Order: sequence, then C-alpha cells, then structure tokens
Amino acid sequence: MQSCRMLCLVAMVLLGSLIAPAQSPFAPKVTGPLSQRVVAYHIDANYDPPKHTVEATETLTYHNLTGQPLDTFPFHLYLNAFQPKSTWMHEAHRDGSFRSSSLAHWKPEDYGSNVVSSFQVDGMGDLTSQMKFISPDDGNPDDKTVFQVKLPRPVAPGQDVTFRIKFKATFPEVIARTGYKRTFLLAGQWFPKVGVWWHGQWNCHQFHALTEFFADFGTFDVNITLPKDYVIGASGVQVGEHDNGNGTKTVAFHAEDIHDFAWTADPNFKVVENTFSGSVGPVRIRLLTYDSHKQAWDPYIYCVQYTMKRFDDWYGPYPYAQITVVDPPHGAGEAGGMEYPTFITGDSGWFIPKGIHLVDFVTEHEFGHQYWYGMVATNEFENGWLDEGINSYTEVKVLDNVWGENTSLINLLGAQLGEREEQRLGFVDVEDRDPLSKMSFQDMSIDTYGGITYGKTASMLITLEKIVGEPTLKNALHVYFMRYRFTHPTTEDFVRTVNEVAGQDLSWYWNQAVYGTEVFDYEVLRADSQPVRWWDENLKEKRGETEYETQVILHRKGDFIFPVDAVVKFENGESTREHWDGKERWVRYVYRKKAQVLSVQIDPDYAVTMDRDYLNNSQTKYVQPGAVHKIATYWLFLTQFMAQILSWLV
Amino acid sequence: MLIAEPDEMTSHKNNAFSSGFRLLWRRQGVLWWIFAVNLLCGALGTVPGFLRLQHALGHSLAGQPLTNRFDLGMLAELFRLPDVSLVRYTTNSYLFAFIFFVFILFVTGGILESYRADRRLTTGEFFAASGAYFWRFVRLLLLSIIPFVIVIMIYQALDKAADRIGDRAIADQAGIFLGWGAMLIFLLLALAVRLWFDMAQVRAVAHNERRMWRNTWRAWRITWHGFGRLYGMYFVIALVGWIMLAIGLVIWAQLPATATGAVFIILELIMLAQIATRLWQLAGAMSWYQAHAEILAPPVEATATPMPLETAPAAAGAANVVYPPQDAAAVEPPPAEAPEPPSTDPGPELPPADA
Repeated sequence: MQSCRMLCLVAMVLLGSLIAPAQSPFAPKVTGPLSQRVVAYHIDANYDPPKHTVEATETLTYHNLTGQPLDTFPFHLYLNAFQPKSTWMHEAHRDGSFRSSSLAHWKPEDYGSNVVSSFQVDGMGDLTSQMKFISPDDGNPDDKTVFQVKLPRPVAPGQDVTFRIKFKATFPEVIARTGYKRTFLLAGQWFPKVGVWWHGQWNCHQFHALTEFFADFGTFDVNITLPKDYVIGASGVQVGEHDNGNGTKTVAFHAEDIHDFAWTADPNFKVVENTFSGSVGPVRIRLLTYDSHKQAWDPYIYCVQYTMKRFDDWYGPYPYAQITVVDPPHGAGEAGGMEYPTFITGDSGWFIPKGIHLVDFVTEHEFGHQYWYGMVATNEFENGWLDEGINSYTEVKVLDNVWGENTSLINLLGAQLGEREEQRLGFVDVEDRDPLSKMSFQDMSIDTYGGITYGKTASMLITLEKIVGEPTLKNALHVYFMRYRFTHPTTEDFVRTVNEVAGQDLSWYWNQAVYGTEVFDYEVLRADSQPVRWWDENLKEKRGETEYETQVILHRKGDFIFPVDAVVKFENGESTREHWDGKERWVRYVYRKKAQVLSVQIDPDYAVTMDRDYLNNSQTKYVQPGAVHKIATYWLFLTQFMAQILSWLV
Repeated sequence: MLIAEPDEMTSHKNNAFSSGFRLLWRRQGVLWWIFAVNLLCGALGTVPGFLRLQHALGHSLAGQPLTNRFDLGMLAELFRLPDVSLVRYTTNSYLFAFIFFVFILFVTGGILESYRADRRLTTGEFFAASGAYFWRFVRLLLLSIIPFVIVIMIYQALDKAADRIGDRAIADQAGIFLGWGAMLIFLLLALAVRLWFDMAQVRAVAHNERRMWRNTWRAWRITWHGFGRLYGMYFVIALVGWIMLAIGLVIWAQLPATATGAVFIILELIMLAQIATRLWQLAGAMSWYQAHAEILAPPVEATATPMPLETAPAAAGAANVVYPPQDAAAVEPPPAEAPEPPSTDPGPELPPADA
C-alpha cells in the first residue's frame, strides 16, 4: 500500500512536469473562466494501436453547483453503443442506415466498448459493485450506454466529489464519428462522462442513433501515451511532450471551458498550420491531413479563415487559442463531418473538382458548431435543432456570402446548386412528421431527424427574415450567442431572444414553425383576363384598346399561415405587387385594364424557402418552353446514348 | 482454310482500317438510317416525360432557374414532387433503349449484307437480309453471353482485389487507380469479345452459315490468327469514338446556358459519331474478312424467291455468294480449293558480276 502511494506520488510529480501550461488555452485577449466549471477531468490514457484500445485512469472532480445534495450520479459510456443489442444499433438498423454505413450485417470490427474496471470515490471507497446500467429512455436492458452509481452519502451543495475511474475503451472501425481505420484513430466519446444536472434533475440519455451529446463545461487535462511516431491532435492546446524511452511518448493537452474532449492520431498525418486574426487576437489553425489530399489543404485553411471572420463579425468572438481540423483518410468518412469543442473533422479526397465546394460545405458547418453547441451548449438529445438547425442557417449565410446564393455548393459545367436550396430539399418531404420542439431522439427516423433539425430550421429562419429582416435576425443571433454562451439554453430562450430583438411577438410564427408541423404551400389558383364587354357579340379584341377584367386567385394549400407577396404583370408592361396575410384560405384580386395579365408569381424573390412546392407559385399566360426544351434535350440524348450502349452488345 | 501471309496482312491492316472507313462512307445511307432510328427511339422514350414537364412547367415561372442557368435544386424538385415525379417516366427511356437494341439485332444482317455487297440495297433486300440472319444473330448473341459473363467475372474479381488493396493503402489513389485499371482491362477484354462475335456475324453473312456453334469456333480461329491487326483496328476506332465524345463535351461545356438549340446539335453530333464508329468497326471487319480470310464458297443455288442478288465486280478474294433464299434447305458449299503453294522455282539465274 505504502509503495503504491509512493509510486503514485512519483507518477504525479513526473506527470506534473508535463502539465506546465506554458500555453494558454485562450486567445490572447481572453482570460478565463468563461463558464461555470462544473467538472474537471484529468485523464491518463495509454493507446494501443494494434488492438485499437485505450486503457486509462480518469479523475473527475464534480462541483455540486446544483443547490441541492446529490447522492446519485449517472455516467455516459457511449462506446457501448456499438454492440448488436444496444439502443443505438437497434435504431440505426431499424432505419436502414446511418450516415454512410449500411448496417445490414454485423461484423466483428463494428464492435466497440467502454468497460469500467474500477470506480472509486474519494472518501467513500470502492463503489465498482454499485455501478448499475440504466435505460432511462427505452428500458432496453441490453443497452449499456448509461450507468448510475449511488453514493453512500450525498455530496452537499457547493461541495466537490472526486471520482477515480479505471476504464478500457475499445474502438470500432470508424462508425458514427469515432473509431479507427488502418493506422488512423478518431477518439470521440471515449471516456466515462458524467450527466448534466438540468432543470432540477439529471439529464443523461442513452446514446441514440438520431442524436448527439450533452455535457457540462469544465476543464480537461489529458495525457496520452502512444507510439513515438504517431502525430496527435486534440481539443485544447498541447502543453507538453515527453519521450518515454521505450518507443512511446506522452503528450499532454489542456483545455478550459469546454464540455468534451476528443483526439486523433496517425503516423501518416501531415500537419499544416496557419492563423486567423480576429477581434480577440490570433488563433492558431492546426490542420491534420494527408499528402494524398494536398489539393484540399488550401481550401481547408481558407474556409476556416473566412468562416471565423464572419462569425467573429456577425455573432461574437472565438475565445480559444486554437482550432484543430482533422481531415480523415480515405475510407474513414464516418469520422468526418463532426464537431467537438476546439476540434473538428472535415471531409475531402484526393481530387475534388473546382466548383464542388465539398470541403467548404463540411468545414464551415463543423466550425459553426464551435458556436452552436461548443459555446452555446444546448441539449442535443432533446433540442437538436438549436445547434444543428441554427448552424445550418448560419452555414447558408456564410457560404452564400462567400460563394454566391445560387452557387454556394456546386458551380460546375453550368450546373449550380445553392446551399439554401439544398437545406430546403432536405426537409420538404418530411416537414409534416415531427415538430422541431419534439425531443429529437424520439423523432420518427434518422431521415426525419435530419430533414427537420437541419433543413427545416434553416428554411424556417430564412423565411423568418422576410418578417423581421435579415439584419434583425443576424442581430438576434448575436444577442443569443453573447447571452447564452457557456450555458445550456432551451427552445424558449432562443424564441424569447428573437422576439425581444425583433421587438414583436412572433408566437404566431413559432407556434407553426417550431411547435407545429403545418405544411407551407401557397399557389396561384387562377390568373386570367376576360373582356369587360364579354356579352358584346360584335366585340373585336384589340391590344391596347379592349378593356379586360383580370382575376387573380391565390390559394393557401397548406396549413401554415404566412404573409406572402405576389407580383402581377400585364401585357402593357404594368406590374403590381400585392401583399396577402394568408389568413383566409384564398384571396381574389381583380383588375380592370386595357391589357391582359401576363404572369402572376408568389414570392418572386424566392425568400420563402419553407414553401414545399415552387411549381405552383406562378402562372403565365404564354407557354414558357425554355426549361422544358432544355431538360427534354438532355433526356433525349441520355436515352439515345443508353440505347447505343445497349446495342453494342449485338 | 487459307489465311493470308503476315506480310500481306500488314498492308491489308491499313487497308481494312481505311477501307472500312471508305466503305462506311460509301454506304453512309446505313449510318443515317440507323441514326434516324436512334433519334426516333430517343424521342419516343422522351415524349411522355416531355409532356409531363410541359404540364408542370409550361405555364410556370419556376423553370426560369433552369432556363437561365441549370439549377440542380429545381431539377431535383421535378423529380421529387409527387405531382410531377419524373422518375416514373424514365421507364419509357429504358423501354425504347431496349427497342433500339432489338432493332439493331434485327438489321445487323442487312447492314453486313450491304457492306458485303458494297452497293445500295433496296429496302426489300435490306429487310429480307435482316430477317434472314436475325435468328442466327440471336443465337450468336446468346453464345456471346458466355464470354461476356467470363469477362465480367474477371472484372469483378479485379475490382474486389483493387478495393481490398485500396482499403489497406494510405493514399486514396491506390484503390482508385487500381479500380480504373480493372475497368480498363474489362473494356479491353470486352472489345476482344465484341471483335470475335463481329467476325462471327461477318462470316455468317459471307458464307450463309447456319450453324452458329461452328461459325463461332471458325470466327475465333480467324480472329486469333489476325488478332493483332484486327484488335488494333477495333481499338483505334473505339479510341476515335472516345476522342470525339470528349471533343463534343468540351464544346458543349463552352455553350451558354440558354443555347438549347446549339446543345441539341452538339449532342446529336456526338450520337452520330458514336454510331459511326460502331459501324466503322463492322465495315472494317467486313473489309478485312473479304481481303484476308478463307476463300469463300462458290455461289449457293437459289431454290426459291427472292431473286438472287448479283454482286458488284469483286476485288481479289472477294466473296461471290448468292443471297440466301428464305426457304432453301441448307446447301453445303463445296470445299474450298486449296491455294497454290508458293513457287519453288528459284527464278532466272542472275547475271555474273562484272569482273
């Protein structure tokens, strides 16, 4: 026992020499603390690449700031989701796929786990036997992603409790944002993480295929021992490195005021560094990538810089010293497109044609999460739209600003696609399934979750610009960020903030867009002109002389009530803009002119992206052949080409 | 069976390549006719979708993003909306592509007869020839499935291996390039199989051959003996086709978004070039066969209508086959005359050199 204590002391001294935070985790003009630091994690981890395992000791100090005594603590063990009978696997298999994984068959390399071998509490002894797996969401007895421990005596309000947990993480082959591929490892959700005391109770959901994570802010000191030749990147900043003399090294990382810690390692990484200079000083950009992705290096850096600039100008500063960007290797796409505090993963390849903004599309989104999730730390289990959706909206704003509204995603050989249209297409087929306000992990399916939280929110906010104006909404997001960063806001907090900044009660809108599933669809039902003297048998219609009565009927096909504009154009060049509140089912406009109606168009600016059907938003007197002929030309060619290919068999 | 000596084949290779082109040019009516049918099949396959589009977009301004540029979002809208749902109408395209395939299967006999005779056939002659060979070519098509399936299996094995190697490699390119390599090998092997069965079709027409197994085997031997030159000819012609496709696409990429008429013309020229290169291969194969292969059987007696064709004055080695009567019993052609062996006469004595 005494020799054990001596060994611990020596280890602490040695390791302490690693943790001399020479580098601040914050940007130059920022000093902490920035959050209510509920947790302090100290993890010593040993990575074994051939086995894809990490054996670690975690010391978690929990500050009871709840105002009440706590004697029960739940913990997440997310890696246990990658087992055949888990809730996560059941949901993913039920819905047919997850991101790029088909999950049709179980393979041994799909297996992941997080096994706690020892659970001790300072002053309370070994409580390993007190660990009990619970399934608060669906009662699945085979799901081991949450365990709970009851302490022999409660932790008083304002007091700390220290947990010492020994665990072994086994990583699956890349799936759901974590895992290995060849020598690459993305270690996400790899350590036991305590739940969040929220709204008077513990909030510690099981890991669901539909949703992501939720945790408290705190500090992280993580020492990772791994083979010497590995290049490593992590959340926070590196504060030390020590050669252990046995072919391994121990790298120390430190981070403050974040709520999660991820890391990555690969001997084949290439490190590309750059900086962004913002309102709080320079921030280091550290890109971990590959030689075969050289074409993507500049786009990555450029994207991070222009995104940081816009977020800094529009919403608020990025306060940390560094942002680490990981470019996963080929075959590890499942690790891409993910966010962790101060650490994001992108997506690229060895060749991406100029004009396809894949790198931008993913990187901008993941950096945006540093704000919506990283700092404004909403509950991703319950309110997925508050981070994914708001982030999708700001993604549209940033990419449109940089690449143009119609070309922000694709601009290649004449084919174009804008980000706002992409978001809209993602949701219009699922908009009547689940409201945004529903607990996200209970949404109907992965597709519904994706369409609603990302696409509907983005489209909903773009449409809201029509009511409050884009500058006002931008300001509302700025206020929301500055007010709720480093906290856990809710739907009501967001709604209230926008109402406040807009200076109006928008509950009529929120009730439909956020709390409801009303479908948005307006159409031009009728637009035609008849001679006023229609009864006159001798009437000879003459352009410019004959008087016509024009009828325009606008119809609200869906149940979503929203004011819309319609532009009516006449053959004599006149044009009039009508504004309809949309409250009734239909409205009729009548005009008497010496000209017939030429066209009627609802929402001529394409500002109302929530409308599920653009085709019925307009009517014209004369045939508009352009698009039809163009599509038919390509269709004809493709049919001919297919026929010729087939005839080659003869 | 007499096969021309290699030296003769060298010059004949150039001849077959260019003579095939000249034959294609002389008989360009065939090309235009096939192109017209291809265009018709394409149009018929497109019409239902066109009418649906007309209904959806004809009196709407929603098509403007497609007219002024090519907005993929609006295109996706047309496929997504249940009221429009263009996916349904793609079935017609598949149907008419298949109809064209059957049509080509039918008229290949007429095409080859036209090339063999090297003269303009009347409509009746053309379709009679097409009909006469149709079922033989169906049998050949079925026989060709065997080697094509083998080639596909080879490709799948290579592709799987490429995937495995690529998955283990650090660089993306390894798997991708190996995959491309597997695809290239597949295309080259498929071209060889196509050549073999084209030769079988040519021989079937040249000899009025009815027994397709025997014909396939003999065509294999002919192809094998002249493989280098024949395959080279086929490969180069195919390459010409790819180059013309690439040039067409480069021109297409430069056209403004609103130039639908010009796009139509360019795309149809691309189609014409694709069909032309395919017919060029057939014409080249026929030219080569007439120049190189076995001495062909003397005329088969006609036993019923239609009236026998008279062939054009034949070049050396050209076939002299009567048009196959539709209900005639198969008549075995007399065995080919053995060619004269090369002379052993050493020739006149050379004058002695000046002292």
